[in-house]
Amino acid sequence: MSAVSHPAQPKRTAAVGRMLRREPGLFIGSLLLGAIVLVALFPSVFSSASPFTVDTAASTQGPSAAHWFGTDDVGRDLFARVVHGTRITLSICAGSLLISAFVGGALGLLSGFFGGWGDQALGRLIDVLLSFPPIILGVIITGVLGPATGNLILALSVVYIPVFFRIARAGALGEKEKTYVEAARSTGLTEWAVLSRHVTRNVMPLILTQYMILFPLILQIQAGLGFLGLGVQPPTPDWGSILEQGKDYILFAPWMSVFPGLAVLLTSLALILVGRGLQRRIDQR
Amino acid sequence: MFYRPMLHRGKAMRATLAAASALAFVYAAPAFGKDVGLYGPVAENPVMGGRLNMGLLVEPPGLDPFHQAADARIRVTVLMYQGLFYESPEGRAEPLLAESYEVSDDGLTYTIKLRQGVVFHTGKEMTAEDVAYSYNYIRDPKNGSPGAGDFATVKSVEVVDPSTVRFSLSVPNAALPMALGNKYGAVVPAGTFDDENARNLMNVQSFGTGPFKLVEFTPNSHIVLDKNEDYWDKGMPYLDGIDFAILPNSASMLVALQNQRIDLVALARPQDVKQVEGVAGLSIERWPSLGQASIDLGAETKPLDDVRVRQAISLAVDKKQIMQASVGDYGTVLGTVPAGLQEHWGLALDKVPMQGPNIEKAKALLAEAGHPDGFTLKLTTINGYDWMDPAAVTLRQQLGAIGITLDIQKVDLGVWINSFRSSQMGFTFNDWATQPDPNLLFYRHFHRKPDGADFRNWANDEASALLDSGRAEADPAKRREIYDKFQTILADTAPTIMLFSPDHITVRGEKVQNYVQHPTGWYYGLARTYLSE
Amino acid sequence: MGAYLIKRLGVSLLTALVASMLVFMLMRLVPGDVVAQMMGQAGGEQAAGTMRQFFGLDQPAYLQYASWLGRVVQGDLGNSWTRGLPVTMLIWQAFLVTLEVALLTLFVATVIGVPLGILAGIFENRWIDNVVQGFNVLGLSAPVFWVGLMLLVGISSLFAWSPPLRYVAPSRSLADNLSILALPVASLALLQVAAYSQFVRQNVVSALHQEYVRTAVAKGVPVRTIFFKHILRNVLIPIITFMGLILIQILGGVVIIESLFALPGLGRLLLTAIETRDYPVVQGALLVVVAAAMVVNLVVDLAYRLIDPRVRVS
Repeated sequence: MSAVSHPAQPKRTAAVGRMLRREPGLFIGSLLLGAIVLVALFPSVFSSASPFTVDTAASTQGPSAAHWFGTDDVGRDLFARVVHGTRITLSICAGSLLISAFVGGALGLLSGFFGGWGDQALGRLIDVLLSFPPIILGVIITGVLGPATGNLILALSVVYIPVFFRIARAGALGEKEKTYVEAARSTGLTEWAVLSRHVTRNVMPLILTQYMILFPLILQIQAGLGFLGLGVQPPTPDWGSILEQGKDYILFAPWMSVFPGLAVLLTSLALILVGRGLQRRIDQR
Repeated sequence: MFYRPMLHRGKAMRATLAAASALAFVYAAPAFGKDVGLYGPVAENPVMGGRLNMGLLVEPPGLDPFHQAADARIRVTVLMYQGLFYESPEGRAEPLLAESYEVSDDGLTYTIKLRQGVVFHTGKEMTAEDVAYSYNYIRDPKNGSPGAGDFATVKSVEVVDPSTVRFSLSVPNAALPMALGNKYGAVVPAGTFDDENARNLMNVQSFGTGPFKLVEFTPNSHIVLDKNEDYWDKGMPYLDGIDFAILPNSASMLVALQNQRIDLVALARPQDVKQVEGVAGLSIERWPSLGQASIDLGAETKPLDDVRVRQAISLAVDKKQIMQASVGDYGTVLGTVPAGLQEHWGLALDKVPMQGPNIEKAKALLAEAGHPDGFTLKLTTINGYDWMDPAAVTLRQQLGAIGITLDIQKVDLGVWINSFRSSQMGFTFNDWATQPDPNLLFYRHFHRKPDGADFRNWANDEASALLDSGRAEADPAKRREIYDKFQTILADTAPTIMLFSPDHITVRGEKVQNYVQHPTGWYYGLARTYLSE
Repeated sequence: MGAYLIKRLGVSLLTALVASMLVFMLMRLVPGDVVAQMMGQAGGEQAAGTMRQFFGLDQPAYLQYASWLGRVVQGDLGNSWTRGLPVTMLIWQAFLVTLEVALLTLFVATVIGVPLGILAGIFENRWIDNVVQGFNVLGLSAPVFWVGLMLLVGISSLFAWSPPLRYVAPSRSLADNLSILALPVASLALLQVAAYSQFVRQNVVSALHQEYVRTAVAKGVPVRTIFFKHILRNVLIPIITFMGLILIQILGGVVIIESLFALPGLGRLLLTAIETRDYPVVQGALLVVVAAAMVVNLVVDLAYRLIDPRVRVS
């Protein structure tokens, strides 16, 4: 995408060039993330093979022109499984993180804005959740309730509720004393209106940034739980479960572990780069 | 009738494997000509001493033979604890702590003469009182043993004299000696369980009479056994001790094998073999098994209550393909008994009805049952049983061909066992093993309630009657005829579909000699193993 | 300070209590208990009933919890339902292993991560910073267990070596102990080195941009003085805070690594206990994990106060 190939759009290319120079991380990350999102949205475009078709005669074959990532223990095409797993893995992570952002954010806003005994009680409850190391919390919930997509989402969303709660609460606390809030109050707006119209709008960017920062972390936890066999139900091709199936073939068919691991790595990389770039931009403002 | 022990006389039975010879692995060298003793073939010139490093993929949840049903427990405890009989690989009950026994003509009284000079690991000498105590303890359900059911036909166990006990039965039971084997319970000193803490102590020290004693059990790490110097069968065992290392995943296990940190391991999943094939210094051996991978069809779940639906499923299943997906070629496709029982007790494979794949006939049966377009069915698999994952996706594809959509549901073992035991198993994979006797294989699983547990709600009167007469019949030929009839009904009405027996696969380093894997999967053979050099 | 400590401890105790209650309820909500697993497919109903009674599982959940709590208050965590050994003993043995792994990882992360971070911070946007940042992003992106798996297999196929199988305490043989822990610590440390150096770099950079540092530079104060007087002091507090954070993270991350490398640590104890529904062990182990996290937080807070007296004891 150099200036030469797009002479008709000198301005935009220049902007891209500037961004590339100033924020190479954000640029590369965005490109990578864009590609990954495309794969998640249209998996069939990238892989025509089915991620479910069993072909025992073609099991554990190494990477080849026919099977780019090789095949797994029952002869399924690994490239197809990784490609089709993108959407599943990412939507589980995005969904659970959305739940925690919503629940944690809303509770934090209320707690910080209204204060009082409710704030105290919620704070203690959040402390309880915070006292569990993240993966352990996930292991308890999925381990006890059993492996299933619903339980996995529940476990993953509980893990980061405290983080969103604290961020939102601190944000609300900071905002509520500011002059514009005072001004809004003096015009006769109700507390609820102030909260929903003004405070929330100003706390929102904090939550969004946190969302991007936590996304790669939740992806790692999700993969880790899958690796422990606490992920989704087979034959769902989620990356963690592909890794879990692959680990027992590591000496014989390392591609079963290498490629889904690389998928997790690249996605995390893209998310971290984008998250960091975004944060830097917000900080600069 | 008076039975003499058949020790040191029979020839070693070898695996009758239906395996393709093209496979690249080392067959266990046939031990024809060697004397077969208890636990394995007697070595000609064993080297005495040395410690063996054995790998365990599954950790025993505890080492109490009375209260722990887990197979991982039995594999190890057979080395420390002994019953009155030994379940020989050929399916005979050989006297172990018994010396000989006599059965009354009505088949209701077993008088058992005990071996002399047997000393417990605690130092006490074994007497009839200990034997009576041990079996009275296990058969009383109030003591909470999972094995109590195997002794349901026993009315009383009495001491006749210090070296003789008498078992009185309520109905004749030809399988009694096999039940007095080593799966559940053992002979322990009288009064062992008077101590509230005894079942905990069993993880710290052993109370049995076996060739090895427990030295140390560190959970999630290792188990150390030492040779029992006072073992009654002089000259056994050959090793000074065994160190079991517990490695929870096969990746680490195989790496450890390659680097000679492990001398011997029984692999849980035969396909792991591929990964160590051709590694210098490692020999791979395969052995027939009494275990089975099967599909259970609980009749409490609609539409499995319709026998035609069960038959259709049985016809749609390609057992060979499922085996290929699950364990590759390292297994034997089954008819109606596990591979280790086929020769002596199995219905001839060409006579087993309702075997597939026969999609046309299956579709016709489904249509006849009112499901021409198929239906959706939940398939339960168990977390931690590796073969079930590939088997499930393969079965999903096979049943898809007759219009049945499978919804795979993976559950934890505890959850699964609860629904199994309350006869609410639905449509599920199962993985279970047996002692080498058809009564112990079939009765509890398939006899009508309340005598049997009939987990699959089969409720088949004809089959139950056959099971009753099979249990009472002492003549082996007549017994086999009865069980042949039973197996025909079993396959025809399909409360269960036995898929395959995964072979037992052992991988050993060069210095490990004379290890024979027992078809139960239990590690009896270690008592006859020695290290060269 | 004393009053603060007492209040902190009180809050911690309350938190631990609520946490244990939550876990207790969660474990009892789901079907399938230890007895089901002990009985297998063979056990009869009566025998199962006996065993449930033996473990007190026939009692209502709140009574079970009360009697468990009653014993915990007396320092008795009970016996494991599967291993029969005292839970305190099992946890103590496992805790020592996990603690060693965590401390070693922390050590490696600090020794490598802090200098890397300082270097990158001082040479902001120069090639050395770019290299360090590139490494950091990669380290943060690679799944810990995946790194462990690749290390295990890679080292084994390259050098025909794998870690010894049976964990040996450092007091018995330090060499054996370290050769067992090398790979697990390396796989855990990669992530933490990256996280640590990233964090330190940011703090150094922001310290460098402070007005007084710029003034000092302009005045011609020697670089060494600026570094030790201004930057290091400003960076020290975040470094210690972060140490605590990392320690807690390692405590969590160790679960998967312990399973992969067969280490008999707390994470694996917890995992197998959850699998076998060994409630006393699950509850005891969680109590210890939660307590450990709290202690780390408290120590960090106190250290914070010691270094910077301006932080009020509130």
